Amino acid sequence: MTTQTSRWQRALRGWFDPRGRDAGLIAFALNRISGLALVLYLVLHLCVLSTLTHGEPAWEGFLRLAHTPLFFLLDMALFAAILYHGLNGVRVSLIGLGYGGRQQKSLFYGLAAAAVVIWGIAVWLMATV
Amino acid sequence: MTESQRPLSGNGRPGPKRPVTFRVYRSRAGSGAEPRFDTFQVDVDPRMTVLDALEDIRTGQDPTLLYRHSCHHASCGTCAMKVNHRDVLSCVTNVLELGTEVVTVEPLGVLPPISDLVVDMTPLAEQISPTGLKTLRLSEYNAKAVAPEGVGAYHRFENCIECGACVSACPITNTDSDFLGPAALAATYRALLKGDTLPEKLYALADCEHGAWRCHTGWECTSVCPSDVDPAGLLTALRRRVLVQKVRRLFGIGG
Amino acid sequence: MQNAVERGGSRGGTWPLQAISGIVLLFLLGLHVIAQHFVAAEGMRNFQDVLSYIRNPLILVLEVVFLVVVTYHAMLGVRGVVADLGLTRQQENTVNVVLTLVGVVLVAWGVYLAWFLVARA
Repeated sequence: MTTQTSRWQRALRGWFDPRGRDAGLIAFALNRISGLALVLYLVLHLCVLSTLTHGEPAWEGFLRLAHTPLFFLLDMALFAAILYHGLNGVRVSLIGLGYGGRQQKSLFYGLAAAAVVIWGIAVWLMATV
Repeated sequence: MTESQRPLSGNGRPGPKRPVTFRVYRSRAGSGAEPRFDTFQVDVDPRMTVLDALEDIRTGQDPTLLYRHSCHHASCGTCAMKVNHRDVLSCVTNVLELGTEVVTVEPLGVLPPISDLVVDMTPLAEQISPTGLKTLRLSEYNAKAVAPEGVGAYHRFENCIECGACVSACPITNTDSDFLGPAALAATYRALLKGDTLPEKLYALADCEHGAWRCHTGWECTSVCPSDVDPAGLLTALRRRVLVQKVRRLFGIGG
Repeated sequence: MQNAVERGGSRGGTWPLQAISGIVLLFLLGLHVIAQHFVAAEGMRNFQDVLSYIRNPLILVLEVVFLVVVTYHAMLGVRGVVADLGLTRQQENTVNVVLTLVGVVLVAWGVYLAWFLVARA
């Protein structure tokens, strides 16, 4: 309803500006960001898998890329996005139907902590394999 | 009061005043001038609220400052605004407890700005009105009360004081002007519980793309509500009811 | 300003499907990630590993189901983000059509890849 700001400016300010906002908005914003990142990843993933249609050498080429440190970092970022989005998604499903609303903040902190722990384990496993 | 509205500084005793800078949003409808922030210095007493400071500014520094106020004790919902980017009732927001040397004061978001800290509350009323929520409810106190002769039961006002803080804080109302918003949806659920309005009408209000389903459980509304309405809790309970209704209808069970 | 009820129609309710598909994905995606990164040696399947993996009938079915569910959840998610921007009915309909097409293309692409690996590689 404001006149001068565009839809996109209002979206950025309304959805992602953490000033004066509480944990619930942070949870929502991170869910949205991780979700959008994962959609992009889905498309990227299908592109990468398409190299399989060019035979073994093409795939081996990709595997070489997959063992570089940069790729490892991106992979870990991907895991973080998946873990956060998945665990917070469970929270959203619960509180979205009116279950556990009063505990929504603790639920957020708890699940975020769980995501970090599981992520740490995944990083360690991937790094030592 | 919810935890977001802390009481005035503990013992209410006066103490040494401290200088605080206020950055106040200024605008004038119809003037064509760009909105701006004016800076004011106020010597703040530990008991002072943001509303007290605004009064100080208006009487002592700039009589053109516009803001709304009425009861000064969190009952009327008139003085809601953004203080340090958070939607609060300025009459119960203690300045020094904010803990910042500069206090930023802006009007509520989402609702159409009029001038300075005054916004147009009409859209909020237009959203809540169709729910037909009656402002009186039976008091929970009745269970323990021994009513005197001639008194049937005690009633009290619904929690919602229609201050607009929740609408301003919600991430979705900021971009989707069709979204009914937390206040109206909370009222919808209350009306359903009390039987103030035909259920079919309330389900129609809630069960549309820009009704209860547009909520993303940011929970900002409940967080900023100064009156313990818990709009997020009511809205999500309403969703559950709507879902149960839909499932019932799908399987042809009564209700 | 026409309010939501005046615009008519009960077009709400994809949220429960979003939630359900999300819960299902917890399992399907979990399985998928574990199978791809924590089973094979060196954490990644080589070409022959990929072929033997996808040629297992049960796995093929699971992976296709996974693809459909994840694309559905993804498209619904993007639709939600866009719907929050407060568009006109017509704009929303256009977005719905576009996202449906994108979803179909993504699923078709994935199914084609699977078919290629099973039958042609």
